[in-house]
Amino acid sequence: MQLTTNKKQNKKTEQKINIKAALTLATTALFGGVAQADTPEEDSWEFDTAFLLYSEVDRVSAGEAILNAKKTFSDEEVLNLKLTIDALTGASANGAVAQPNVQTFTRPSGNGQYDVVAGDTPLDDTFHDTRVQLNAQWTQPIATDYSASAGVHISKEYDYLSIGINGNLGIDFNQKNTTFSIGASYFQDTFTPEGGIPKPFASMLIGDSSSPSWDDDFAQTRIGTEDDKTTTDMLLGFTQVINRRMIIQFNYSYSMVDGYLTDPFKILSIVNNEGLAQDYVYEQRPDQRIKQSAYVQSMYHFDTTVLDISYRYMWDDWDIESHTIDSRFRIPLDGGSYIQPHFRYYQQSAADFYAPYLMQSKFELQRPEFASADYRIGEMTAYTLGLKYGMTVNNGHELSFRLEYYHQAPSDAGFEAPSVLTNEDLYPAIDAIIAQVTYSF
Amino acid sequence: MNKQTILVIIASILVSGCSSLGVQPWERDLLAKDEMSLSSSPVDNALDDHIYFSKEASSGGKGFGGGGCGCN
Amino acid sequence: MIVLSVLILHTAYATDNNKLYGQEGLTQMLEQHKGDVIYLDFWASWCGPCRKSFPWMNDMQNRYQQQGFTIISINLDAEHDLAEDFLKEHPALFSVIYDPKGQTAKKYKVKGMPTSYLIGRDGQIKKAHTGFFTKKIPTYENEIKQLLTTRNLSN
Repeated sequence: MQLTTNKKQNKKTEQKINIKAALTLATTALFGGVAQADTPEEDSWEFDTAFLLYSEVDRVSAGEAILNAKKTFSDEEVLNLKLTIDALTGASANGAVAQPNVQTFTRPSGNGQYDVVAGDTPLDDTFHDTRVQLNAQWTQPIATDYSASAGVHISKEYDYLSIGINGNLGIDFNQKNTTFSIGASYFQDTFTPEGGIPKPFASMLIGDSSSPSWDDDFAQTRIGTEDDKTTTDMLLGFTQVINRRMIIQFNYSYSMVDGYLTDPFKILSIVNNEGLAQDYVYEQRPDQRIKQSAYVQSMYHFDTTVLDISYRYMWDDWDIESHTIDSRFRIPLDGGSYIQPHFRYYQQSAADFYAPYLMQSKFELQRPEFASADYRIGEMTAYTLGLKYGMTVNNGHELSFRLEYYHQAPSDAGFEAPSVLTNEDLYPAIDAIIAQVTYSF
Repeated sequence: MNKQTILVIIASILVSGCSSLGVQPWERDLLAKDEMSLSSSPVDNALDDHIYFSKEASSGGKGFGGGGCGCN
Repeated sequence: MIVLSVLILHTAYATDNNKLYGQEGLTQMLEQHKGDVIYLDFWASWCGPCRKSFPWMNDMQNRYQQQGFTIISINLDAEHDLAEDFLKEHPALFSVIYDPKGQTAKKYKVKGMPTSYLIGRDGQIKKAHTGFFTKKIPTYENEIKQLLTTRNLSN
């Protein structure tokens, strides 16, 4: 399929040629001009659109949509723009423990109460929020074997604003078999929760929101209307091509979060020696958190399948340690489609100030500096099982479907439960379904 | 400090041992494929990261850069 | 002119699979085009910048062929089918030699994809380029024009 354009045309170098090429050349010869060459591949846009549904049984549901636009310019310069919109609804655990009787709690805003039936894990269903996020990232080579990238991020929801910048540098060695990357990011977040910032360990005011003294009493439990935090991250990466089929990556990351890290909507139950709740108090977390992680990932291309497996170890100064194993196996099918099973295993230990509840006797003797009953910083194991199916449609576009099952199992980090609480489920498991559709064109 | 020391040791081993690993520039056919990219589905990764960041105590750690066709 | 187009159309239907391979194929081509300015290009179907260079190479071949300019390309795809598919979408108006084992690439010390060497009329390598950059197209073309102005002194 190639044409030898040599002067000795008569010499029968019988080579198979392409009709289009032949006609192009014929036109050139006939009209004596230079054939109009195809213009080099125009700067091209690539789009990804995705919609995801996350739904926990009896708890939180979230919908998230992403529109990603990527433009590649003439010499490997890339502009990436992303719009994300998500909406959250449903009920979240408020941190209190289940009791053998009905419990009443006040909503975070202070406007109204809600009841939880005996035996149920208390859930607060006032959470519905919509968030919009915009990201812009520019990447370009800056010298032979040097590539740089910089970006901005802005995210806004009813009570939260986050703005951030990031930058990174990549350096290639050994004919691009080895790559070092260094990156950093800085985020500034402002939180204006409904109801304001609660006073740490203040008792949750429960009564009649419509009573004349309510507003003043409620204000007594508040210390402000808003607070903020900054997050500084740094990442060092090392990528190495092992052979034609395999590549590995090793990353180290360091993250420092400073500011308001408490969850203003979460409380702890103060229970007596029998386990019966006497009071509910607002939680308090430290105003700084330093996290570090070591991550290794390997990708291996078999005959037709690709295995992606990674492990991450995270540790922080709240005494939390976690292990994450994530693996995906891509199996190509006929006609450009594929299936990809996914398995993820996660395990974390509890923060040193985590407590599922506080004993009244101890609490009254000496108030702890920090305490939180948020199961998300408690001890837990979780796993995800998923399957993705992708297919090629409409001349090179891709359509894919992903369905996953996420199971979270919080566990007892060694708290001896008083009598009443031994009959309650203090560590309820959470099941969620994740469903996603993506269309790329 | 112990963990940091381990990391530095691993990093030095990687750096010294890796000059002999790799492929010739024309042997990157498989590595050039989209499915061999270290972040082959950035949209999936972004969505998952958001879920796990909201429901667990860990986040991030994954990186960028390296692999691919090695062109230009 | 009519004879030429008829001749071309005739050979378009020829089914001969006379493809050139490896160092042997390259040596043959270089012999055949002795005295020409030769642009030796190493490419593969999976290489993005290679895709971008094809239309430009076709353009150069057309423009300077009369002055004794020849492009000889070497395909380094390990899987031949991929090279064929690529050529269906991006036809080459220049010769393609297939070197799936990369013999010639090793010999010519290819350091990146794509790599091109500009060989003068005297058969010596005058310029080497690693990578293909749209911004450098004027430079690439000037280098070709410069070498074309020289005449092979041994003639």
